[in-house]
Amino acid sequence: MDQLLTNFIRALRNADVRISPAETLDALSAVQLIGYGDRQLLKDSLGLVLPKTLDEKAAFDTCFDQFFSYRARTSLRSPTPPSAQDAATADRGDNTRDRAAEANDGTENRETEAGDGTQAGNSSAGSGEARGERSGRGQSSEATAAAREARESSEDVSPGEMPAPQSPLSRLLTRANSMEINIAINAAGQQVNVYQIELFTQKGVYTRRILEAMGHTALQEEIFSLSDSAAIPDRRLAQDLTRRRDWLRERIREYVEHQFLLHADVSGRRLRESLLRDLRLSSVEQRHHRLLRDLVQRMARKLVAAYSRRRKVFRRGHLHVPRTLRRNMKYDDAIFDLHWKSVKTDQPKVFAICDVSGSVANYARFMLMFLYSLEEVLPKVRSFAFSSDLGEITDLFARNDIDTAIALALRQYGSGSTDYGQALADFRKLCLDDLDRRTTVIILGDARNNYGDARTDVLKEIYDRARRVLWLNPEPRAIWDTGDSEMRHYIPYCHQAEECGTLAQLARVVDRLLRIGL
Amino acid sequence: MADIPSIAASVASLKQHLEAHRYICSDQIATAVYLAYHLRKPVLIEGPPGVGKTELAKTTAQMFELPLIRLQCYEGLDEAKALYEWKYGKQLLYTQVLKQTLDEVLQGAKGFAESVKRLHEFGDIFFSEEFLEARPLLKALREEHGCVLLIDEVDKSDHEFESLLLEILSDYQVSIPEIGTVKARHTPPLVFLTSNNTREISDALKRRCLHLYIPFPDIALEQRIVNARVPEIAPRLRDQLVRFIHDLRELDLKKVPSISETIDWARTLLLLHADRLDPELVRNTMNVILKFQEDIENVQPELRTLTDKAVRS
Repeated sequence: MDQLLTNFIRALRNADVRISPAETLDALSAVQLIGYGDRQLLKDSLGLVLPKTLDEKAAFDTCFDQFFSYRARTSLRSPTPPSAQDAATADRGDNTRDRAAEANDGTENRETEAGDGTQAGNSSAGSGEARGERSGRGQSSEATAAAREARESSEDVSPGEMPAPQSPLSRLLTRANSMEINIAINAAGQQVNVYQIELFTQKGVYTRRILEAMGHTALQEEIFSLSDSAAIPDRRLAQDLTRRRDWLRERIREYVEHQFLLHADVSGRRLRESLLRDLRLSSVEQRHHRLLRDLVQRMARKLVAAYSRRRKVFRRGHLHVPRTLRRNMKYDDAIFDLHWKSVKTDQPKVFAICDVSGSVANYARFMLMFLYSLEEVLPKVRSFAFSSDLGEITDLFARNDIDTAIALALRQYGSGSTDYGQALADFRKLCLDDLDRRTTVIILGDARNNYGDARTDVLKEIYDRARRVLWLNPEPRAIWDTGDSEMRHYIPYCHQAEECGTLAQLARVVDRLLRIGL
Repeated sequence: MADIPSIAASVASLKQHLEAHRYICSDQIATAVYLAYHLRKPVLIEGPPGVGKTELAKTTAQMFELPLIRLQCYEGLDEAKALYEWKYGKQLLYTQVLKQTLDEVLQGAKGFAESVKRLHEFGDIFFSEEFLEARPLLKALREEHGCVLLIDEVDKSDHEFESLLLEILSDYQVSIPEIGTVKARHTPPLVFLTSNNTREISDALKRRCLHLYIPFPDIALEQRIVNARVPEIAPRLRDQLVRFIHDLRELDLKKVPSISETIDWARTLLLLHADRLDPELVRNTMNVILKFQEDIENVQPELRTLTDKAVRS
């Protein structure tokens, strides 16, 4: 199995592109057909096989660019280890400078040696300490590190001859080009399963683990022992290795960052989603609205998918001549078993009345969101909003996208003081005649009427005409009927009254609705 | 007979051949045909109306010189119209004939059991291929040398019909209860499904298809398309009108003009012997590109600026 492709698909799934195993196989055969050679062709092909909606295509595009950019970037920019570059320029460097350097060599050397001498004198106590500690190792690595740092920064050994590095990692670092090192990083990453990274706090851990897997300890040891050595070439190597090691760390950090972006983002998202489900809707923060909207939409779609399967065969409509003939052949063409064409969907009409007054301001936003999604997926939803005066917002929803529609609805009807009596009367005037046995009326609100006239008689009228009246109240059941809540007067005229303050509760309500039929 | 394998040898060659048949397309579209041919997968094409979804299937059929079998979907389409139906008239007629010859058939038969046995020898003759009226889907499977099957506007059909398609799309076969399973002969058809997204296509169907989204083309591509379709048009007018259409698509319209409208408009202007856009001309021919009075009225005030912009740049 193609490791690269499976990793990519994993990353895609994280970006919320739904990919089934069958599609994975398709992608595999597509890749076998076209190969990895042509980037654009690869993108086009996988873009045909894997993402199946416009949203997914957008996600796919960014994901593809991210995933395959890493390789593209490294091979393009090719960040060779800095000192290797230095060495290279020195190698290539014009001879004149070299010669000049040689001419100055004597004096320079003397100077550096003198400098070394004094510095060694200054830090002799420190290095002595360091050496002592290193023999009784592991007691206070901080001090060692500090000492080493001091030594490293104090020394500035000019480039020149160096002994061959000993540990495998240092050999790799000095010898290999950046591509090979990237491959090594990748291999180490796979070894420590960096793909399982989930939280950003794990970045450090994984960086360290990859370093370890690549033989960091041995390298560290080598640098230690080299920098303690008296010979200048040794120290020169130590410095070189330190630089290369830092460069390597940087690369690995980048690599882990990249892997995190590809693989981890989603678990955070899943966590957020599950938290959101149980959060009271009024307290959901602005920035989560998008996510909430997705959840709501998914739920509405689920509702409709389940619903659209319910169909009834009516014994009315056109005669289905071919089928009737066929079925009656066995009776010697005496036609008595009739078959009918019309398979009719029992389409319920939904009238949704949403309270958008000040008392439920936060909640209203979400309820409107639900209504909007419902309208997108169910053909016959009529929506109404009110604070005191009630108005129909079906058209408003149909014409605008979700955010504008909600904003408009809130501006037009929102944040007044609540008057259920007036709203119900308005509703009656507007469309009582449209209510029939197939109509479900959903009322979304807290039933807090400011001690005004509740007009339960109107609700009773609605109750008598409609198939179902359903009240969804955002408040916890315990505080229904407290204060100015008219819930207790309204409940007798509802087929069902539910607490509906969180997404989880809403999901439950929807579920139950489906079971008994809307 | 077209040399299909060599045409489909590479994406570039496909693109070239499509262009030779006056279908100018992006790499993505050519890649879709390429993969569809080599992986033997159906292609589900989505996109705004009039960007050439149906045209792609037609052109592919022309290019490969294969018959095009088209199934137009609509609400209430069922297997009797899409897949197969029995020839009832013929069946009835034969029953009548059989009635008259029944005596001969049953002559000499002793007892009921033997009569039934003899009748059985007729087998399921009434439900054999002779009496089967093949509808587009079955026809496509039975094509000897393969064909291009176009299932147009699949989003207009019902959920049930989608499920019916699943067997065909994944295995290129259908099950007819009276006969058994009909498999595609030699080469399975190349299947194109188009959808205008009036409703969400089910995941099961999508999973079996390559998914191609054709957006509106960019200016350069659209100019080439107009060039291919209306070659007589003057280059200057062509550039101007394509730019104009592109600006128009930016506006908030009920129905934005699509490629087919661009082409219609180009033809109209050609007929009017226009050699450049001017506001008056645009106003008079507006109804070719905008199909709603509301849109036309909305655009009127912008018309001069839009025309100027298209002419100047």
